[in-house]
Amino acid sequence: MNAWLLAACVLLGGGFAPCVALACRGEPQQRLAAASLAAVLATAVFLLLAQGFGRSSYVDLALVLAVLAPAGTLVFTRLLRRDAVSGKGE
Amino acid sequence: MTPRHLAALVLLVLGSAALLLSVLGLLALPKPFARLHALSAASSAGLPLVGIALAVDTGPGRSAVKLLVIAAIVAVGGPVTTMAIGRLVGQHEGVVEEDSPE
Repeated sequence: MNAWLLAACVLLGGGFAPCVALACRGEPQQRLAAASLAAVLATAVFLLLAQGFGRSSYVDLALVLAVLAPAGTLVFTRLLRRDAVSGKGE
Repeated sequence: MTPRHLAALVLLVLGSAALLLSVLGLLALPKPFARLHALSAASSAGLPLVGIALAVDTGPGRSAVKLLVIAAIVAVGGPVTTMAIGRLVGQHEGVVEEDSPE
C-alpha cells in the first residue's frame, strides 16, 4: 500500500463515514451541508485511488463528480427552499 | 525518495489534514451558519492541495493539467454551493426574506 492509497483509506474512514452519518439525520439544511462535504471528500478519494492504483483513466470519475456534485447541491437547495416557503415541512 | 515525491507527500498530508479538519468542524461546530465554515476549508484548501500534490507527483504533462483543472473546478464550485446552502439556512431561520431576489 502506497501513500496515496493510505490517504484514501484515511479519508474514507475518518472523513467520508462521519459525513454520511451526518447526512442521514438532522435538519435538511444540515444534511445537505454534510452531503456537499461528502462529495468533496469522494472527489479527493477518487483522485487518490486513481494515483494509488496507477490508472490515470480513473481520474475521469473524479472530473465528472467535481462537475456534477455542485449542480446536484444547487438543485437540492431549490427543492428544499420550495418546501420551506410553502411550509410543507422537511 | 526524490525531492519532488517528498514535496508531493507534504502537500498530500496538508490537504488530507484540511479535509479531516473540515469534517471535524462539521461535527463539532454548534450553529448552522458556523458549520458552513467547515465546507469552505475542504473545497478551497483541502482538495486543491491534494490536487496539487497529485500533479507534483505526476510531473509535467497533460495528466497534471487535468488534475489541476479538477482541483480548480472544486475550488470554484465550493463557494457557490456554500452560498446557496447559506441562503437556504437563512430562509429557514427567517434571516433572509423568502421572496428576495435570486
